[in-house]
Amino acid sequence: MTALCVAVVCIGLVIAQDVVPLVDFFHTWQYATALALGAFVLIAYANGAIKGRDGALGKRLALAIAGALVVTLAGIASGLLGPDTQTVSHAPGTVAPIPDLRAAAFFTAADPASIASGNAHVVVRRPNHGDVDVAPNERKFLQSSVLLLRPSHAAFVEARDGAGNHLTVTQPTNPSFLSPVLLFPNEEAIAGKKLPFDTFAVPALQRVVKTVFLTGAMTSTLRVPPEDAGKPALLFAVDDDRGVSHGIAVGPDGKEVTVAGMRLRATLGSYPALVVASAPEPLALAAGVVLFLIGVAWTFLGMMSGRTVPLRSP
Amino acid sequence: MRTVIAAVAAIVAVLVVIAFYPGGGPKISLNGTGGPRMLAGAPAQSFPVKRVDGAADGLDRYRGTVVVLNLWATWCPPCREEMPALERLYREYHGRGLVVLGVDQGEAPRVAARYARDHGVTYPILIDEDQQYGRAYAAVGLPTTIVIGRDGRIVKGIDGELTLAQMREAVAPALHAQ
Repeated sequence: MTALCVAVVCIGLVIAQDVVPLVDFFHTWQYATALALGAFVLIAYANGAIKGRDGALGKRLALAIAGALVVTLAGIASGLLGPDTQTVSHAPGTVAPIPDLRAAAFFTAADPASIASGNAHVVVRRPNHGDVDVAPNERKFLQSSVLLLRPSHAAFVEARDGAGNHLTVTQPTNPSFLSPVLLFPNEEAIAGKKLPFDTFAVPALQRVVKTVFLTGAMTSTLRVPPEDAGKPALLFAVDDDRGVSHGIAVGPDGKEVTVAGMRLRATLGSYPALVVASAPEPLALAAGVVLFLIGVAWTFLGMMSGRTVPLRSP
Repeated sequence: MRTVIAAVAAIVAVLVVIAFYPGGGPKISLNGTGGPRMLAGAPAQSFPVKRVDGAADGLDRYRGTVVVLNLWATWCPPCREEMPALERLYREYHGRGLVVLGVDQGEAPRVAARYARDHGVTYPILIDEDQQYGRAYAAVGLPTTIVIGRDGRIVKGIDGELTLAQMREAVAPALHAQ
């Protein structure tokens, strides 16, 4: 009975990796040690049972223990040997390599509407394999990894000159130089709070614009028109390319503001980052669980028939 | 004791096999050097945009020809400097199945149109206000030039200003390919 309890605990610990894959505990030596000890107990029991220590019933139970052992080893492999959880954040319309999966992540293009709705997907492609399309609130398994999306603050910015002519927006410090979508990889401390921070440039006017993402709760405390209070907004601080300040303005979501001779509009929302976490190999997990259930059912049937001796602990 | 040793050895053996198993499927190149150079061989992406005269256009309309896609803007000095060479390339090779597309990044049509007219540019100028081409072609600066073969695949991606000689050298393989 002890071996059966250990088997159930080991399977539970491994399945937990799939249920909550982002927990760091699965990559610790404590987790690996617990599973390794469990595996040791299971092997010791199976070895005795096969030699007939528990009679015919024990031999039947050895099948279930073997299933649990497969699951446990899959758990050790992904937890101890699998890559640490990584978050891949890239600009819309760009491609990011994921060497651990021998794959590439295609971040779908975004327009103001998709940023506002936060419904952008990420497609993971591997040579000679089908695409894995990961949507918000979904999780997909690929090899021994689980893929899911983590939304982060994003803003689609548009700039026009005083006459209304559209202007090029660039991000000189970003690998995606020509992306008008800000993803706020940095934070800036304002009034004791760390706020999402990013910059872009308007080279036609030699302007550099620093931006801070303000939540609705923050704009409620600012001097903004009543209809904009409670809405998220972007704080624009405009410098020239020598660092001289040319003005500051708060641009509510979707509204155009004029600052330093430019008309700026930001559509606020979210854009996903791809999270890749190691997870037990799904095939091994499924095969092990099926084997375990068959073994338990077979043992139970044997006990019901009354033709075998009762189980004893190893 | 022998059972314990056998069990530990079995666990270690399984872990080693899993750790060093190479996995299935061919490997793809993932040298993350970035920029347009890494795009060679990939299918060229097209986005619907407009020409400076308002007519609908896009890269997919030029399938079957060799395309020199030049990402530029009027505020970009190196872009302006290479435009005469692009114009010469267009005139030289247009009859041999090559088209130059100047894709203005993020500017108003009238700004780009005025510049092209004032500088005698005759190749098509497309207006990409949302800078979709710039993002898709991994531009790390302007100008960026992408040579696309007749089969719709990228032959070469080049960051920075080119001379006419460099342009001729870049398009030669695509022009000679069947």
